[in-house]
Amino acid sequence: MTDVRRRRPHARRVVGATVAAGLLALPACGGGSSGGVPTINWYAKEEAGGSMSDAAKACTASAHGRYRIKQVPLPTTTDEQREQLVRRLAAKDSSIDLLNMDVIWTAEFANAGWITRWPTARAEQVTKGKFPNVVDSARFKNQLYAAPLNGNTQLLWYRSDLVTTPPKTWDEMISQAEQLAREGKPHRIQVQGQRFEGLVVWFTSLLASAGGTVLSPDGTKVALPAGPTRRALAVMRRMSRSVAADPGLSTSQEDQGRQGWETGESAFMVNYGFVWPSASKNNPELAKKMRWAPYPTVDPGRPSKATIGGFNIGVGAYSKKRELAFDAATCLSSKENQLGFAAKSGLLPVTTSLYDDPKVTEATSDAVDAAGKPTQVKSFPYAKAIREALATAVLRPKTPYYNDVSLAITRTLHPTRDINPDKDVKRLRDAITKALKGEGLL
Amino acid sequence: MTTTVPAPAAAGHAAAVSTSKPKVRRRARSERARAERRLGWMLCAPAVTVMLLVTAYPIGYAIYLSLHRYDLRFPTETTFIGLRNYGAVLGNRLWWQDLTSTLTITAISVVIELLLGFLLAYVMHRAIFGRGLVRSATLVPYGIITVVAAFAWRFAFDPATGFINGMLHTQRAWFTQQWSSYLVIVLTEVWKTTPFMSLLLLAGFTLVPDDVVKAARVDGATATQRLRKIIIPLMKPAILVAVLFRTLDAFRIFDAVFVQTRGAQGTETVSILGYNTMVSRLNLGLGSAVSVLIFACVLIISFVFVKGFGANLSQQRGEG
Amino acid sequence: MKHRSLSDRAFWGAGTILVVAYALVPIGWIVSLSLKPTANVADHKFLPSGATFANYRTIFKDPQFPAALRNSLGIALIATVLAVALAMFAAYAIVRLDFPGKTAVLSGALAIAMFPQVAIIGPLFNMWRSLHLFDTWPGLIIPYMTFTLPLAIWTLSAFFREIPWDLDKAARVDGATPFQAFRRVIAPLAAPGVFTSAILVFIFAWNDFLFATSLTSTNRARTVPAAIAFFTGASQFDFPTGQIAAASVVVTVPIILMVLIFQRRIVAGLTSGAVKG
Repeated sequence: MTDVRRRRPHARRVVGATVAAGLLALPACGGGSSGGVPTINWYAKEEAGGSMSDAAKACTASAHGRYRIKQVPLPTTTDEQREQLVRRLAAKDSSIDLLNMDVIWTAEFANAGWITRWPTARAEQVTKGKFPNVVDSARFKNQLYAAPLNGNTQLLWYRSDLVTTPPKTWDEMISQAEQLAREGKPHRIQVQGQRFEGLVVWFTSLLASAGGTVLSPDGTKVALPAGPTRRALAVMRRMSRSVAADPGLSTSQEDQGRQGWETGESAFMVNYGFVWPSASKNNPELAKKMRWAPYPTVDPGRPSKATIGGFNIGVGAYSKKRELAFDAATCLSSKENQLGFAAKSGLLPVTTSLYDDPKVTEATSDAVDAAGKPTQVKSFPYAKAIREALATAVLRPKTPYYNDVSLAITRTLHPTRDINPDKDVKRLRDAITKALKGEGLL
Repeated sequence: MTTTVPAPAAAGHAAAVSTSKPKVRRRARSERARAERRLGWMLCAPAVTVMLLVTAYPIGYAIYLSLHRYDLRFPTETTFIGLRNYGAVLGNRLWWQDLTSTLTITAISVVIELLLGFLLAYVMHRAIFGRGLVRSATLVPYGIITVVAAFAWRFAFDPATGFINGMLHTQRAWFTQQWSSYLVIVLTEVWKTTPFMSLLLLAGFTLVPDDVVKAARVDGATATQRLRKIIIPLMKPAILVAVLFRTLDAFRIFDAVFVQTRGAQGTETVSILGYNTMVSRLNLGLGSAVSVLIFACVLIISFVFVKGFGANLSQQRGEG
Repeated sequence: MKHRSLSDRAFWGAGTILVVAYALVPIGWIVSLSLKPTANVADHKFLPSGATFANYRTIFKDPQFPAALRNSLGIALIATVLAVALAMFAAYAIVRLDFPGKTAVLSGALAIAMFPQVAIIGPLFNMWRSLHLFDTWPGLIIPYMTFTLPLAIWTLSAFFREIPWDLDKAARVDGATPFQAFRRVIAPLAAPGVFTSAILVFIFAWNDFLFATSLTSTNRARTVPAAIAFFTGASQFDFPTGQIAAASVVVTVPIILMVLIFQRRIVAGLTSGAVKG
């Protein structure tokens, strides 16, 4: 460290370059604006096929200069999307004009005052002709807080080469799978057992099919009737301990299920419709043998109830352009755009009549034939099954504490192979009671 | 602090004044000392202010929040509730479970890192050729973003995408069991931070004079004896500090667990718990109680090291 | 150079190779994964059987990754400049000047180096949201600067102790004020130390995940580690393995280059003062 003269300019240059680089990068943090036309920020995850940004463009065009919709991307999973959004909303971020909301967030967001109630006339306009129970997901205390955008439920997928008649109940399915295992045939059942929201979907569907609910009708107390709860838990336990369970069940989400299915080792899968175009592309041989049936039930005498998934579109409470935002949300959730979401990204509509629209029934998507050449398959051969399922499907618990309740459920039931139906009914009740008081670690 | 009157006179100037010399000289000296003191404080002030504002103030604020029901999802329900949040945390099995798993991960990783780091430092110390190569290679894990390292190992062990299963000819789902999840997390930690440990230890090797070791060798001490009787005792200060740094660093483990299991399979750590409570649930009151308790744990660990093992930090430097 | 036997050389040579392999296996793996075509991602092989840059094209076409890269670079560089500047003043004072409280500064800095950062993310989040710093560059620069100050102060103090201070004294005898002495004589001498601590500070800021996930939420200020962890797949249920790998490679290459070019300095920085008083 003696050569002062040589070091000196060197150090200057380095520091100088560092500062310069910092300054160069600075303008990047300024927001963009486009002259005159108000920008409506729409926090929404982009979907494959670009249907969200296409809808934003279409509505911007039809607004004739009154507003311009800018789609702000969100993460992939809904847990992560929620985390991002609630942090901004808690920070009273006025840049959130519109936000895509998972159907389970309505109560929490509305209760915290983060989203705006829809005025009656506007509410009428965006709920007309939509599935009543889907519309219900956007309500809190009998007021509408969001416009239903798309809906979804799971179906039972099975292999027609292995299964002649699709099972009606979980027990039947597990028995069939175990029989296949004894015969040395592909026999796995793909289901979501990871400690995440999908586990709540599984539990809620089983509980509702067994005739129970998680919360009392007003959403303030635990319901969890002992009989149905124990039945639901017993099914989860049996499923998780069966030879038919995937070894990775406890880390399995929807996409792991799809992968497990496409390897050809599975006979059954409980999953959303995205598995169909995927298999048609990645394993066309298998796709040919793919069939679907209603979600399996618990008791043979009682029809199954699947759980409603999907997204609604809300107006941010701190938005400075609420009226324009309502207009934009109305446009984005219109029939035309719902058809666009379906055709481009495989998201099913919430307006009942659209299930008969040729744009849904005749929609096609890219696939590969057995010889590996590109071809087209119908996108929604299963649309009718979804329509029927959506009509009877149930909502997950509606409470401002939903996030805590959901955590309480997943924490208590994961890993599912360790479920003890007798003890866990009480553990579940205790955990949810605590969650409803906002107390306790989860 | 002898005078309170501001005295702008510079030392040279004061010396030039001829009246009452001894007094002036004393005054000049004390004035120079004062000026030096003031400059010292001035130069430290910005750094100290920033550090206090961003750590001490928030910790005080965390203590305040921890005494309240303060949930951003229920903004109207904020009330003072005393120590109830602490009761809720300490009375919950989850806190103790997370603390155990944090300590388990910490202990296992630090022990492995110490052994591997020692070896690595020895290789660096003794390597004849490719010394620069070893050093560069060692620094690669240090420089890599922890999230990236965590993803690399997660994908490597993933049953669908990983090469580990292909290599071992198994179909194990590594993240479905506690022990194997721990294994991957610890592996990630060890891989990423052993280099840092080894560099701290490498510095410790310079504390061991070569001729002492050589003399012992001449006296017929075996390699093990040389290691146990000479090298390790001489290196003790360096080892203790390296272990303390790494223990406290490992105790706040967050990135790898977040990316690899997000706390599932009983691998949740106290940092993840704090994050979940504060950031995902926005329950700042309860989450702050967790924070304060984590802070207390860190104090306890440091205390044990300093008082119990006599780690002398004043000779050592910090690592962020 | 001492004379070494052949077996000795072979032994240490093998050790060297082992160390290099240890460091590079995960890097090689992530590069391989980023190059695998989608159909081969699940082939359980270490090396790709075919190579495609599709994943790289995808991440650069999407707005989130370029934005994160810009944020990471900008935030890390500014935090580095600020932290090193403040630390330089403090370290000079600690090494050169006599004033009460300097041990307190050093040990306080040490305490902060060991501080559990998760303990303040809640309060910080709440403060940032009322100060409108949430999801902004300063919102990350401030904590990064704070948590790298100890590292910088300690590293710089160690380097400053090596400087021949007679030059400083000489300058002051020549009539320079302490500040002038600092600026004209000491600063240039201290340059290598400054540069070294800058590298270490930069690596810290570049690496951080906890603050980045907690205090940002969009492309406006989200840095690379947080962006990678929340990468958007093609559909709701799709996990973008290949893209994460590609993004990882992009942010790892510059660090590896930096480490290779400056390895001597980094080692000096990490070990300096570790043994000296």
